[in-house]
Amino acid sequence: MLFWQILIDGFAISALYALGATGFTLIFGVSGVLNLSHGAIMVGAAVAAWAAASEFGVGPYTGALIGILAGFILAFATYFIAVRPIQRSKAIAESEKEIFILTATLLWGIIIQEAIAYLFTNNAKTVLPIVEGVTTVFGVRTPRNEYFTAVICWVAIGLLWFLVNRTRRGKAVMAASMNPRGVTLLGIELSSIYLTVWAIYGLLAGVAGILLGMFLGVSSYSVGPLTASAFSIVVLGGLGSVSGSLIAAYVVGYLETGTAYLISPAYRTIPALLLLVVVMYLRPQGLFGRR
Amino acid sequence: MSETMSGAPMLEVSGLTKRFGGLVAVKNLSFSIRPGEILGLIGPNGSGKSTAMKSVMGVERPTAGSVKLDGVELAGLPSHRIARMGVGLVFQHSRPLARQTVLENIKVALLPDKLTRLFADKDVDARARAIAERVGLGGVIDRRPPTLAFADLRRLELAKAVARSPKLVLVDEPFAGLTASEVADFSDLIREFRDDGRAVLLVDHNVKSVSALVDRVLAMYLGERIAEGKASEVMQDETVRRVYLGGALVSTARPEASFKDVTPALQVDKVGVLYGKAQALQDVSLHVHEGEFVSVVGLNGAGKTTLFNAISGLVPYSGDVKWAGRSLAGGTAAAIARAGIVQCPETRELFGDMSVRENLELGGNALSDAERAERLEWLFGLFPILRTRQPQLARTLSGGEQQMLAIARALMMKPKLLILDEPTLGLAPVILETLSKALDRLRETTKITVLLGEQNVTFALPHADRVYVLDHAKIVWEGPPDRFEAEAAATYL
Amino acid sequence: MPSFVTSRLFWIGALTVIVALVLPTYVSGYVLGLLTVAYYTAVFAMSWDLLFGFAGEVNFGPTFLIGVGAYTAGILDAHFSPGLSIWLCIAAGALAAVVGGVVLALPALRVSGPYFGLTTLVAVLMLQNFIVVAAGLTGGEIGLAVPDVISIDAKTNYWIALGFMLVSGAILFGLSRSAIGLILQASGQDKIQAGALGFNVTKHKLAAFVVSAFFSGLAGALMVFYMGTASVSTFVDVGVGVQIIIAAVLGGRRTVIGAAIGAIFLIGMGELLRPLGELATLIVSVIALVVILFFPDGFLGIIRGGAKA
Repeated sequence: MLFWQILIDGFAISALYALGATGFTLIFGVSGVLNLSHGAIMVGAAVAAWAAASEFGVGPYTGALIGILAGFILAFATYFIAVRPIQRSKAIAESEKEIFILTATLLWGIIIQEAIAYLFTNNAKTVLPIVEGVTTVFGVRTPRNEYFTAVICWVAIGLLWFLVNRTRRGKAVMAASMNPRGVTLLGIELSSIYLTVWAIYGLLAGVAGILLGMFLGVSSYSVGPLTASAFSIVVLGGLGSVSGSLIAAYVVGYLETGTAYLISPAYRTIPALLLLVVVMYLRPQGLFGRR
Repeated sequence: MSETMSGAPMLEVSGLTKRFGGLVAVKNLSFSIRPGEILGLIGPNGSGKSTAMKSVMGVERPTAGSVKLDGVELAGLPSHRIARMGVGLVFQHSRPLARQTVLENIKVALLPDKLTRLFADKDVDARARAIAERVGLGGVIDRRPPTLAFADLRRLELAKAVARSPKLVLVDEPFAGLTASEVADFSDLIREFRDDGRAVLLVDHNVKSVSALVDRVLAMYLGERIAEGKASEVMQDETVRRVYLGGALVSTARPEASFKDVTPALQVDKVGVLYGKAQALQDVSLHVHEGEFVSVVGLNGAGKTTLFNAISGLVPYSGDVKWAGRSLAGGTAAAIARAGIVQCPETRELFGDMSVRENLELGGNALSDAERAERLEWLFGLFPILRTRQPQLARTLSGGEQQMLAIARALMMKPKLLILDEPTLGLAPVILETLSKALDRLRETTKITVLLGEQNVTFALPHADRVYVLDHAKIVWEGPPDRFEAEAAATYL
Repeated sequence: MPSFVTSRLFWIGALTVIVALVLPTYVSGYVLGLLTVAYYTAVFAMSWDLLFGFAGEVNFGPTFLIGVGAYTAGILDAHFSPGLSIWLCIAAGALAAVVGGVVLALPALRVSGPYFGLTTLVAVLMLQNFIVVAAGLTGGEIGLAVPDVISIDAKTNYWIALGFMLVSGAILFGLSRSAIGLILQASGQDKIQAGALGFNVTKHKLAAFVVSAFFSGLAGALMVFYMGTASVSTFVDVGVGVQIIIAAVLGGRRTVIGAAIGAIFLIGMGELLRPLGELATLIVSVIALVVILFFPDGFLGIIRGGAKA
């Protein structure tokens, strides 16, 4: 019984981690940016969905859509405020740009976080679940929303795979992550590729955010830990490798769920961190890292 | 030769091999340098000369073989130990500490590798000044590198490398970017090092530029030694001439008057490019008619790639480039490619983790599905091997196949002007046959205009209607291929 | 010209120090307390700047080193007081931080770029978790109450903090300008050339780590005995680390002094804007972002630019 509980809960939470990490690693793979405002964008999307539903009384579906839109907008804002100006700046040396973008996305994340806290208080908020009720599978009572979360995550990941492997635009994005100069030589503007990637990222982060909001609830305090966990997963899987992030997300998700149920919820994050330490020592570029 | 040259070799390299994964960059290389001797290691890109030098310095770790300095084995040691044993390296690209003065830069080279020294020894300052004087930096000793002229930056690199009086001095591309008088100054300095009893190893692209300076030359190709001896001997050597100039020169040129356009389709007008302080291209003007095949020949470092990058909008330049009467200045590189000027660069820039077919399809990103399929078929006819290799990942292809893929991908864009940068680099003769045939077919069956940059004259000339020779950032000769051998070839090697 | 500028900056600096020294006579204990914290934070930021600026490594977990120093000192005191003098605890804290720095440096120096930063971030998360889990020893999330403090008097604490900051600043700045600093710069800017010039780059970067760890740990330990408590949110939290990085970049990276200015600015501004409540951090972050985007050389860059003109 416990086995099924762990299996199901672990699957759902891993799926959520996977969605968040995929977006994070996509941005790094294509534009080389470690977006430290990742958690803030996710929480922003969740809070927007919650606010729409609770303060303006729209239904859960509309609320969810507003949340995704918020994620989309916040992602673009991140690109145009914290990333692009530095990438184009002539005042900053090339080798320095990375630390500046890092610091800028960090600050931007803090700005979003504080704005959320100011406008909506620090209290945890739960987004209205789209699917209500509870089902019993293999003797385990689980909220239907949990299954819904896992399904949506995988649908989103599947759509991303389809986009990247079967559409022209998607392939151009994939090519840009391998060789930006090659893409320019073929007449494709890198600037439009970046816009596409940030748009995809915004949608992914938005969806992940509202699902998280439904599943576990969020508050402005969640921002830091969310960014940190996406970071850890992506490092474990290997920066820039989407499949690596997916696998790592599941490893981490199951390690956490298993620990929470079998040992204690307080120690949830320890095994994953220990694994990360071991990987850092033995294989610093991650399980599937390219660089 | 210097009188102080003694019998026992200072540097003895035997069986040096360096492998990068599956690629063998240096294969079983052996040579020696005596104190008071200058050896020139010559070879085109990909010949392994830079790798060989880096292996001696410890920047790369040799896969096999031995490197002995004065009898002591260096192979396998980290570079800082090798440096302390008496080897100095002058890097090809100047890498000064931008925030420190020239004097301070030289002082760093004199500091011991100790953690506990807060203050440098009293004599370090005096020694640094003396070195600066010697290389000709006395006047700029308190200035910072961003304010220095290019030649002075090179002097600084020289100063750093010889600061601790090494027994062996390694110099990578000593004269790149220097004017004739600066070359003379540098040559004198290097000669002084030699006369001090040091062993000197120069690495360069062409024999001509270092022939006045070196005592001996070792020519390399594809990682191996192909000739060794006095500079004049090596320049006459059969294998060397074949590798650099190729064999008999055949020509099938169409006269310039046969091209119908009134104003040439491509007009390059007094184009200049500065890389930092170095003049990579100076006052270059050329033109290409619609449908014409023009070859730009020149050795490595002459400026071919820079010229093509300027035309393609990948580097900023002074002067003007016009296509079909309209200036290309200000357009993004991608826009220029879309306008029909497509470059297939020396580095190929393939998408390694994508299949051959995916690479080609990306080339056809602006075409409709039907057009794209049609174009693909036509290209498979031109390069049949690509059809068989369709599902394979690009990075698993052989060098020749990758080159064909790169060219085919560029052709997918339906270019009006195709720029090919060194397509034959490092390729086996069999592949050259296929490429040759493909170019011939393009010439016969399409109206495509081609600008071909090559150092392999045997390949370039048969496909050219006209030839330009680029040497040290300038155009030095223009004319039909049949006049090349008589007028230009002698100065080329 | 250059010497004029340096001397002008020097006089501005000297004036500031004099003002700082006599401040306690004029301001309240509250302000003094704030400045005390600011001064310790300044040392955190300066240590970080040494490591980043000169060894070329972006370190995301300054709080790992600070936390190890702070908690070691705090735990020793909490469990062995009154047998152990607090100065011994502080020394132990600094030593523990150095050991921690070495342990962290070994894997971290084998990688570069983002992986290095991530390694350090992971270290912080590990420490945080360990502290929370070993609550019996460390006081967990609630924090550790330390029975002894350096002094109850706000003025004494202020002067100790100020003195510590000035001495550390002088040492760190001096290091950055010394022969060692020159070698560190070379190692950070161009590893390969530094090797070709005969420098064991790894050895020097490790040394930079040790120095940074020592000062961070020492400052952390001192701060524990100033505040009387140690908690995760003051010493180990990633948020604190973020503040330190922002302080250093804001003040002007690679200048050591800039980091101190940045730290004092951040804490001062945070306090000034406190009446605005939640908006305080927001506004400070906006200011910091604007400075970074438009004045990449930070405050010191602005001051220097003004002095040159």
